[in-house]
Amino acid sequence: MNASAGDVPRDPSYDSVEEQYDDATQQREAATLGMWVFLATEILFFGVLFASYTICRVLYPEGFAAASRHTDMLLGTIETAVLLISSSSIALAVRAIKLDQRGRAAVMMAGTAVLGLSFLVMHGFEYYTEYTEHLIPGIDFAQSGPHAHAVELFFCLYYFITGFHSLHVMVGVTMIGVLAIRVVRGAFGSRRYTTLELTALYWHLVDIVWIFVYPMVYLVGRSG
Amino acid sequence: MNARDESPQITPVARYLWVLIALLSLLALSAGTALLKLGSFNTIINLGISVIKTLLVMTVFMHETEARNLTRLVSALGFVWLAMLITLSLFDFLTRAPVPAPWQ
Repeated sequence: MNASAGDVPRDPSYDSVEEQYDDATQQREAATLGMWVFLATEILFFGVLFASYTICRVLYPEGFAAASRHTDMLLGTIETAVLLISSSSIALAVRAIKLDQRGRAAVMMAGTAVLGLSFLVMHGFEYYTEYTEHLIPGIDFAQSGPHAHAVELFFCLYYFITGFHSLHVMVGVTMIGVLAIRVVRGAFGSRRYTTLELTALYWHLVDIVWIFVYPMVYLVGRSG
Repeated sequence: MNARDESPQITPVARYLWVLIALLSLLALSAGTALLKLGSFNTIINLGISVIKTLLVMTVFMHETEARNLTRLVSALGFVWLAMLITLSLFDFLTRAPVPAPWQ
């Protein structure tokens, strides 16, 4: 991090170019590439859970439809809308910072963080409803009938998938909140926005994961 | 050292808003079609809509259209590996005849 070369004085409004890069653009492209490698590991992290879900759903189609009907479709749809809106607001925040509109960027980022928090609160309500309906596999599970085992499997996967997703939302909200404060303090600008752009990429991926979670969890067996 | 043009590419606000409207419309469409009796087409439509939404987010919000080819390749790889993981796992589960244990 030290400007050891010493020939170029560090300007806080610029991304400092490390010596292995030709220029700031190349450094930013390398950072974006690295972020996508990390996001690929995230896709596979959730991918394992998605693969388990696919196999269990192929094996127990009726049980999964019955289990999905226990979830709150209206709340799930609102949560999806909230995440989609938050994705567009963080995209607008990155656009604003590229144009040196720090105030607007900070507002859009604060909005994103608030939307992320409201997502977590809504999901908390869902978990509470499931707790009162005795839908916690292994601890408090009171389903009976021919599909009880499949319903239990569905809710196991449900808690793992939505739990890890909520954890990612929490991390995202924290990062975006901290960066919003740094934006207000003038740490970023039209020549220095890589950190913001990469955080936005992370947030969009969290959104993409939820785009697939929504039909998998909330929309199965709704027509029956 | 040839410093390249560093001015960032700016996407018009209208494009982001149109994509948001498209995403919310697709969300309404997937919620609506889920209530219709379409059999296995319910799942196909829902997954199809999810793929379209993902492509919209990736191309516009994540600036994949402006990214270098190497970045695009890496961003596609995660999904390719995931597709391999799910497809090959299903080959196993869909072709294996269940053999119950003697006491079952």
